[in-house]
Amino acid sequence: MKQRFFGKGLLLVLVSLLMVAALVGTSVADEKVIKIGTLFPLTGPVALAGQRCRAAVETAAEVINNAHPELQVPLAAQEGLLDGYKIVLIHADHQGKPDVAKSEAERLFDQEKVWAIVGSYNSAATKPASFVAELKKQIFMCGCSSSGALTERNFKYFFRMAPTDKTESIEFVHYIEWINETKNAGVKTVGLIYENTEFGKHAAEEGRMAAEAKGFKVVADVAFNPGATNLNSEVQTLKAANPDAVFGACLGGDYTLWVRTMKQMDWLPKVALNYCTGYQDPIIAGQLGEDANYFMGGTGYAPEFAELMPAVAAVEEIYKAKTDPSVPFDSDSIQEAVALFVLAQAIEKAGSLDPTTVAETLHANEWESPLSMGGKVAFAPGGQNIKAMSMLTQLQGGEYKRVFPVDLADTEPVIPMVPWSKR
Amino acid sequence: MKNRKRSVDFLWLGLLAFLALLPLIPGLLRSSFTQHVAIQILLYASMAQAWNILGGYCGQVSFGHSVFFGIGAYGAGMAVVKYGMIPWPGAFIGAVLAAAVAVVISYPCFKLKGHYFAIATFAIVEIFNRLFMVWYWVGGALGLDYSFTDQGWTHFVWYESKRGYYFGVLLLFLLVFGVVRWIERNRLGFYLRAVREGQETAESLGVNSAKVKLMAMALSAFLAALCGAFFAQYNYRVDPPMVMSLDMSMKFVLITILGGLGTFYGPLLGAALLIPLQEYSRAFLGGIGGGVDLIIFGLLIIIVVVYQPRGIMGIIDGIRVKAKRSKEGGE
Repeated sequence: MKQRFFGKGLLLVLVSLLMVAALVGTSVADEKVIKIGTLFPLTGPVALAGQRCRAAVETAAEVINNAHPELQVPLAAQEGLLDGYKIVLIHADHQGKPDVAKSEAERLFDQEKVWAIVGSYNSAATKPASFVAELKKQIFMCGCSSSGALTERNFKYFFRMAPTDKTESIEFVHYIEWINETKNAGVKTVGLIYENTEFGKHAAEEGRMAAEAKGFKVVADVAFNPGATNLNSEVQTLKAANPDAVFGACLGGDYTLWVRTMKQMDWLPKVALNYCTGYQDPIIAGQLGEDANYFMGGTGYAPEFAELMPAVAAVEEIYKAKTDPSVPFDSDSIQEAVALFVLAQAIEKAGSLDPTTVAETLHANEWESPLSMGGKVAFAPGGQNIKAMSMLTQLQGGEYKRVFPVDLADTEPVIPMVPWSKR
Repeated sequence: MKNRKRSVDFLWLGLLAFLALLPLIPGLLRSSFTQHVAIQILLYASMAQAWNILGGYCGQVSFGHSVFFGIGAYGAGMAVVKYGMIPWPGAFIGAVLAAAVAVVISYPCFKLKGHYFAIATFAIVEIFNRLFMVWYWVGGALGLDYSFTDQGWTHFVWYESKRGYYFGVLLLFLLVFGVVRWIERNRLGFYLRAVREGQETAESLGVNSAKVKLMAMALSAFLAALCGAFFAQYNYRVDPPMVMSLDMSMKFVLITILGGLGTFYGPLLGAALLIPLQEYSRAFLGGIGGGVDLIIFGLLIIIVVVYQPRGIMGIIDGIRVKAKRSKEGGE
């Protein structure tokens, strides 16, 4: 009897959930709306980053849909787009899997009838999802996926906001040249440590090319599987090669493990430069505490950049309310908000919802983007934002200090990194 | 014996009727998502049935089938991406290679029994995953990405409609299930079941168990690799985590166990339950985040397995027995 009751109860819950979801999905069908799909890893190893990216797009949609005259961002003063159109977001989860990203992109376009997609964080997921968009001649706005290969496909409907691994690699090497010249840092060799994925592998290849092009010798090339529980042998390999500088491409928890393993082995290079998240995540930096200091990396945004990007703070308050635990924008999530702001401006300027017209408009113009470093966005053929900038920061006293390029710096870098024993 | 033969014939005819109706689905259901779900059901049913030859009929539980699936996927992917060819020869070479690799790997592994064999196959997935991650000739961690090409059967790629993929996977389904149907009625099928029930007993009756297990492994790997080739063509991409992962291996095993291990219809029933649940729960609930879809998915598996460890076929058998008893009681 009990078993039968339990079975019926479970069935009722399942049916109710499905009905609620179906109703939510259809309630906006008849309104004047522009449906935009978001496609991020909401579950899986980088779920937290994906959920923050989704919150950033929600923030941008809220600003666009409602009048926010107090905000210094384009379209904030008006309500909606094209005389009354509102943006409605349809969220999807690709779980960090390329095949799921492809099928979810198809579902968003074919079933949900979204007009464009914003996503997808993991470069390996962005590739097949944007392939679907290109086939369907629909716009794909990519915020932060950093693999250079994404914008080397000559796609017409793909647009990426963030700088690529190539841009960051070149910047890393410029920085090393600068500290050698001005600080007598004596950096001659480079080591690479990276997760063995589309992102990590591509970043490492770009890092190697940039370093070797300027005469630096790459003495260690260490790949690891993401989500590793132990990086002892990887760090041991680095320690044995003892490179002067290390370029790291380690996401999330892998970054924490890498730093802690180096501490355990009492080894540090003179300079440690990091691509993308891990280093950029303020929560991770907080968890590492004092150990996070003196590491460096490319940073598109940090709260410490407030004086360079004064418009961000007010928008960030809306974003903070959408994240749990409440966090400020990071370099990745802010790019996803930029993606929707730029798309909205293009729709408004084109005065049309024809994807081809809007894509051509996106290519033909330069866009105001107070949430981007440098304040502008413009696209090259293939969809790369040629105005994308990132700055090198160094964590000092738990804060992201701007150290390079020199004209934007607010702090002198600490070189070499302070050894573990002297902290 | 006479009754048994009649019931087997009936089941086979039922399957044929079901297959005859399947091609009508794309015409009946316009939604590309529903077509996607139907394609996934047939693909995963074929994968599970390929695994069932070894794991179900022969009783050798392998967690390494994603390796063979991956080799097939890379066969097609390499032909298309690396050599600019059509995928067919790549798929065939991949399937033959998968069968060869399966035989080479399983020859020593078959000396292990029960859980030890299963553990060894676990390790094989990790070895191949790492190997392909750093093997740059096959794309390494970056994988192989398809570029735009002509649509149609020659290139086995369709962009605007899923109809071609549907009929493609239906052929694959007919091939895999047809082979298993043939095995079931052939001497090999009896040998496989004999080895499963008791290797020593089977050997005492003259069955060469080592040869039988190797044949089952090779055939199972060959068919799994063909499924992998389809998977690569369908997703326009292949990389090691997509195909050579424990996650993918578990799908081979889970679907078969859920449907009914060592039964002809089990893999189809398992896929018909699990795949729509996975796809629709993700579509409806995935956007909420927090993995609600995955929680429901996991709960259902627990309920089915706890309620009936013999899977859906066990539930059906239970209902059939109950009906028979009540009929006899009525008489």
